[in-house]
Amino acid sequence: MSSLAMRPCGDFRTSYKQDNTIFETKTIRWVTIFTIIALCFAPLVVDGYFITLLIQISYLGIAALGLNILVGYTGQISLGHGAFFGFGAFASAWLNVSFHIPVFLCIPLAGFLTMGVGMMFGAPAARIKGLYLAIATLASQFIIEDFFARADWFSGGAAGSVADPVNLFGFVFDTDESFYYIALFALVFMFIWGCNLMRSRDGRAFVAVRDHYLSAEIMGVKLNKYRLLSFGISSFYAGIGGALYAHYLGYVSAEGFTIMMSIQFLAMIIIGGLGSIKGTLMGVVFMVFLPEVLESGVGVMKMTDWGNIPFVIDGLAYIKEMAIGLVIIGFLIFEPEGLAHRWTQIKNYWKFYPFAY
Amino acid sequence: MRKVMNKKILVSSIAVSIALSATSQVQAQDSVFVGHLADMSGPTAFVGKSYANGVRDSLAYINAHGGISGTKLESETIDYGYKVPQAIAAYKKWKSRKGMVAMQGWGTADTEALISFVARDKTPVFSASYSGHLTDPTGKNPHTKKPAPYNFFYGASYSDACRGLVQWAAEDFKSKGSKGKPKFTHIGANHPFPNAPKAACAEYAEELGFNVLPPVVVSMKPGDFKAQCLSIKSSGSNYGYIANIGGSVLSLIKSCKTVGVDIQFMSSIWGGDKNTFKAATDGIKNYIFPTMTPFWGDDVPGMKLVHEISKMSDPEGKKDRVHHYMRGVCSTYFMKEAMEWAKDNGGITGENIKKGMYVNTNWVPKGLEGVCLSANWTNEDHRGINQVNIYQANYADGSVKVKKISQVTLERRDDWLGY
Repeated sequence: MSSLAMRPCGDFRTSYKQDNTIFETKTIRWVTIFTIIALCFAPLVVDGYFITLLIQISYLGIAALGLNILVGYTGQISLGHGAFFGFGAFASAWLNVSFHIPVFLCIPLAGFLTMGVGMMFGAPAARIKGLYLAIATLASQFIIEDFFARADWFSGGAAGSVADPVNLFGFVFDTDESFYYIALFALVFMFIWGCNLMRSRDGRAFVAVRDHYLSAEIMGVKLNKYRLLSFGISSFYAGIGGALYAHYLGYVSAEGFTIMMSIQFLAMIIIGGLGSIKGTLMGVVFMVFLPEVLESGVGVMKMTDWGNIPFVIDGLAYIKEMAIGLVIIGFLIFEPEGLAHRWTQIKNYWKFYPFAY
Repeated sequence: MRKVMNKKILVSSIAVSIALSATSQVQAQDSVFVGHLADMSGPTAFVGKSYANGVRDSLAYINAHGGISGTKLESETIDYGYKVPQAIAAYKKWKSRKGMVAMQGWGTADTEALISFVARDKTPVFSASYSGHLTDPTGKNPHTKKPAPYNFFYGASYSDACRGLVQWAAEDFKSKGSKGKPKFTHIGANHPFPNAPKAACAEYAEELGFNVLPPVVVSMKPGDFKAQCLSIKSSGSNYGYIANIGGSVLSLIKSCKTVGVDIQFMSSIWGGDKNTFKAATDGIKNYIFPTMTPFWGDDVPGMKLVHEISKMSDPEGKKDRVHHYMRGVCSTYFMKEAMEWAKDNGGITGENIKKGMYVNTNWVPKGLEGVCLSANWTNEDHRGINQVNIYQANYADGSVKVKKISQVTLERRDDWLGY
């Protein structure tokens, strides 16, 4: 029975250690390890297009996990995550260019800088919540965005700033294939860290704050501390994601980090599943692949005779944009708990097959 | 119920994998691929659509008439909606699956995100982002942060166009016999695109004896800009450079008309076209804007070819194209002739196309005489065009009339390279 990725009937957790494990079963652990190893060989098998999508999934995934820790686990809200992502990107480039710190150190340092900024803007969370907090964080989005456009010393202003590729002991990670390993390592590292965090005392405190802040406070959880800490950790993740993005592109322009990006991060975690680590990754994969799949659909249409006229092609462009919106609405209606929940349902279906009850 | 669900998942996942792999077929032998990034549904679609149609029709026309000296020119237009991740994905897809040799790009966002990639992959990009910092291919100017060796564009850079307008404004001020120092204001959002010429243009304006006032920030999104117009009015500025596009420009013109601002507006290349004028109607008074091409109805030899190209998407010839369309055509035709040179000199590769861009001096693509300005690209200077046609638009009797009032040729100053 243990060959299936699920816990057999009658397998109860009898110790605290068992209850606290990262992987529910041995099989899940092996599947995860095997998947990571398989992903290491991806550049040999798939072409550059998929590699670039996998890199996108990595840096967006790290940032989205940060947001999920804040929104899904701690029950706060942030509409400024895209700006924090951008701050990480600029901070890493800035540290590298201005202080000549090696890039592989700049990335975590940028994370810490972003953490500082995030905690500053998260400070209102100590006093306000819900919609009011959403608007307070919305302000951070606009303040930081404006800062990018004005602070020539930091972001290069209108001209943007240059971000060198990662250079480790003389080896330059300047191709997609080589950078892919950096991105993959960062993704695995940050996700394991995220899993661990949620098993820890602090992680449980986050959940307590989310579920019932009054009870949490009565139990001795310091609300202000944990809300602020959550903002800090969330921004740290955003900063790391942004820094990877910067060194991947080699160039950062202030134009990309708009409110749309913040909303897209929210869409990712809602589609994936709030308060779920693996759901985060699913949501990101979904959101990265969706426009590409739709684009391929448009491409297929263009190959037909009747489809290759500007009227249809222009129409398809709008349909594509609308389809993305429709899918998101569809998810909110039919799968409000996200892809992670759907995944559990699929697993359950096979677990009880053929005697579903 | 659950069974049905799973079947659906299976079917949809098969469909997804088919769709993803469908675009990766084997290419025909004698053909080259050119990618085309367009914004037809995003925030810059107001002008993006016209420009994209110009590029798309030209690519189709070239292919229908012999391709690149017999080599088939394959192309794909992707509407990336001004989103950087989609632009990167499209670029990588074309590069890895179609062996793209050159790309027709669009705005600031995608062009700048791709600068490092295209330099590394040696893929020339012909953008519609005319940022000054794309013009220094070797990093000769110490101000240049990042050399852009594989970036080209047809037209004067944003900075140069603004300098041309300022030069015109200085003469205009003198010819009106006004006393004192003319005042100049930059009006635009605080974003990379409107900001691109801000410093360069202000510097030159000061050099010409302008009093440069603090810039007025106007959002890129349309809105009520009466407050900004009032502050322009109270500053008593004489010349205002409008750096935004589309709806935002419209709102600004209308708000300023209501407030009664007496200022000479000068717009960027994207801020003055028929669509804007049609919507702004009586707000258009002595509105100055630059162009790099003639207009749709103009009688110049090259327009014959442009009208033919336009029929690729409009067989009846009913459409009235704005001047951004012509710039799309020029951008594609300069690329086409560089590709033809490349074919005769070692094959159509990105590197050879880049070399092909430097072969001609005072270069006008064949058949487009009078449409495209003569261009000079060199391997140290990517300011292909250093001329600016200055037009004036006026609303009278229910329509907006435009007339050419000047042509400014800018020096190729070393300190202006890449800036």
